[in-house]
Amino acid sequence: MTHSLRRLALVVLVPLLLAVPASGVTPIAHREVLPNGIVLLVAERPAVPIVVVRAFARAGAVLDPPDQAGLANLTGAVLTRGTAKHTGPELDSAIEFVGGSLSAGAGRDGLTTSVAVLRKDLGLGLDLLAEVLLSPTFPPDEVKRKTAQIQAAIKRSEEDPGTVGGRALAKMVYPNHPYGVPVEGTVESVAKLTRDDVVRFHAANVRPDTTIIAVVGAITVAEARREITARFGGWTPPSAPAATVSTVGPAGGPRSESIDKQLTQATILLGRQAIRQTDPDYFPLAVASYVLGGGSASRLYSRVREEGGLAYAVYSYVNPGRYGASFVVSAQTRTAEVPRVVQIVRDELVRLTREPVTDRELKLAKDYLIGSFPLRLDTSAKVADFVVAVEEQGLGLDYADRYKERVAKVTAADVQRVAMKFFAPDAFNRVVVGAPAP
Amino acid sequence: MRPLLIAMLLVVVAAGAAAGQASDRVVAATLDNGLRVLLEEDHRSPIVSFQMWYRVGSRNEARGATGIAHFLEHMMFKGTPTYGQGQFARLVEQNGGQDNAFTSQDVTSYYVNIASEKIDLVIDLESDRMQNLKLDPKDIASEREVVIEERRTRTEDDPGGFLGEEVSSIAFKSHSYQAPIIGWMEDIKRITPEEIRAFYKTYYMPNNAILVAVGDFKATDLLAKIRAKFGRIPKGPPPPPVLAVEPPQNGERRVIVRKQAQLPIVYLGFHVPNQKSPDAFSLEMLSTILSEGRASRLYKRLVYEQQLALEAGGDYNYFSHDPGLFWFWGTPMPGHTPEDAEKALLAEMDRLKREPVTDEELQRAKNQVEATFVFQEDSVHRRASLLARFELIGGYAEKDRFVDRLRAVTAADIQRAAQTYFPDDKKNVGVLLPKP
Repeated sequence: MTHSLRRLALVVLVPLLLAVPASGVTPIAHREVLPNGIVLLVAERPAVPIVVVRAFARAGAVLDPPDQAGLANLTGAVLTRGTAKHTGPELDSAIEFVGGSLSAGAGRDGLTTSVAVLRKDLGLGLDLLAEVLLSPTFPPDEVKRKTAQIQAAIKRSEEDPGTVGGRALAKMVYPNHPYGVPVEGTVESVAKLTRDDVVRFHAANVRPDTTIIAVVGAITVAEARREITARFGGWTPPSAPAATVSTVGPAGGPRSESIDKQLTQATILLGRQAIRQTDPDYFPLAVASYVLGGGSASRLYSRVREEGGLAYAVYSYVNPGRYGASFVVSAQTRTAEVPRVVQIVRDELVRLTREPVTDRELKLAKDYLIGSFPLRLDTSAKVADFVVAVEEQGLGLDYADRYKERVAKVTAADVQRVAMKFFAPDAFNRVVVGAPAP
Repeated sequence: MRPLLIAMLLVVVAAGAAAGQASDRVVAATLDNGLRVLLEEDHRSPIVSFQMWYRVGSRNEARGATGIAHFLEHMMFKGTPTYGQGQFARLVEQNGGQDNAFTSQDVTSYYVNIASEKIDLVIDLESDRMQNLKLDPKDIASEREVVIEERRTRTEDDPGGFLGEEVSSIAFKSHSYQAPIIGWMEDIKRITPEEIRAFYKTYYMPNNAILVAVGDFKATDLLAKIRAKFGRIPKGPPPPPVLAVEPPQNGERRVIVRKQAQLPIVYLGFHVPNQKSPDAFSLEMLSTILSEGRASRLYKRLVYEQQLALEAGGDYNYFSHDPGLFWFWGTPMPGHTPEDAEKALLAEMDRLKREPVTDEELQRAKNQVEATFVFQEDSVHRRASLLARFELIGGYAEKDRFVDRLRAVTAADIQRAAQTYFPDDKKNVGVLLPKP
């Protein structure tokens, strides 16, 4: 009933992968701004009769007031639980009866509402999408129910060393920024949230002038414009300006934390602030990260896993958001080997600062980052996620092409220069989740 | 942990849906050495999903050597005389490809998704490692430690994985579905290089494999290339059959484990027939009605209305080679006990036995399955996997008939299946109690 994979599927890499390149010359999507400020992105993929829609509102957890951690997340969770026309169960039945899906959820930067339907059910799908975005009623009993579920999910997530470690690391990397606070909040912070808070958050932050709607699949630009305008054209922004969030500030000195759990394996996380795609050094950093821990030919994979047999999972990645970025190295190893694995990671970080990467490694990293691009855009859902990400991060729909050019230009000297900037091991925060060393 | 379990169950559920009249687009051939080849052109993107499926999994393992199929899967990336240690991954990545592999109870599957112009490289790599694996004892020794770490991640330190193993091990007393795919820790530590080599020689041969590719290529050209490379590999003797037939269950079996965890977990397992039985379609529909979406029964009743579970669901594996289990699971909300969750799950089963599902539920489930088929068409990787799964159970063309067979299921069929296969006195129950 279960599968054992050779390698851990690196779901966590998605933010990086989204930043990877297109090779085509035609724009990946049509873009226009509707009069009320909605950015409409349309990618025609006529072959399969499905349509995927993502509505990204800039209403992520970064907008949670300091004493209301988890508010965006709760708002997202309750968004599909009742509208002026339908109860939550009615919405569920309506979309599922046609084999479609409707969901909403908040992340750090935004609140995304998604619909996927067969082409023939597009009208229904868009009607429901408009309902949940524009006229959610946040029924009190649904707010209560979701609050309890979120609290239980937070409690259960304490079982997962990766989640526990990730939370602790985020706090160290972003000590004075909302990125350091878990999107879902804490059991205590969620307990204090009320329906009024949710209503206010939605009214202030889910608004057309900071919303991107991507429509991808068996639909033309003209159809998409007509259907979206018909349902969202009358949506007006609130008079107050959209909330702004500062970019991440300096983190201060690196910190270290051990979190005791009765586990047979320790999860090691090293992390620090890094840079976003708008910084020219991002591209050498992406290459450096790939050489260090990006794939099955990376230095960490070779030394820690292939040669050392010390871990099943070991990798590094850059995790850029709208307001800041981090660089993280992660490994899971048996309790007794924690010092050895940490030492290998430190050695390899240092090595990248002291000597240039080999031509072979450089070529491999660049060829992979550039060449794997078509795989990242081979379904309508992936295209929708990609175009939303580049739009939201202000990278432009031609980002894919520029990325390719930028990566192609990276030299071994660039990699070493950027490594010297970001890979000094003593600048990393460190979290170890597991049993204390014997 | 449950996220893993559920993610994997979802894979299976999703795989339960395939596309309309797909078979006429498939170019199928069986080489002289027995290799089965299925090719389907799709020119929307310049990519290909190239997959090798070996008809071997934990099902084929002997007692004392559990996990050997999965161990070998790891070793398939450790090199041949032509392409040494690490070369497989390096070459695939250098060419912009992505690869991975998985082992299940019934099969071991390898895939490379890559730009279609690079397909010759993949043919070369896959045909090479079908017969020339090095299996160096030194590499085996270091990979053993990696597999042990994988087991720690998936089982030792994961409450859901840990409990799942315990339930399977009591549910089967004869059949090899009893053992975990990753193997018992003692066996992983013990298995010798000689055993791995013998296992490889026994099962990795063209007549025990299916090659599937979907993507941007010309099928006749690709078939010629496949013939040229794979055709040279000699046919092997047929692998030994798995003879064990699980005897009927004579009474309830129950296991209670205590482990560091935040919430309890309840699993229920019932022995059910596989796709060789006409009841398989009823069970497949039943699984959808119980678990697919927020309007499904278990979510709606246990999670939404009664608010006693954080998660609840049920799953049936239509593609199981031998008869397996219909699984149910529930995670009680804080303030509720595992007994509450178990009772609520059993009450839903009882209801299925007493009254037919509604027309709306049945129609919704059929529409969901059909839509899933269409959604899967969007991905060359998923399409290739689905062709392989149907081929494994008797022929890829079965995919075309699958939806029609599901469409024919009636509420009375489902009620009868529930009455037949969920007897209250023959359940397998696992309960995980959090240890502080």
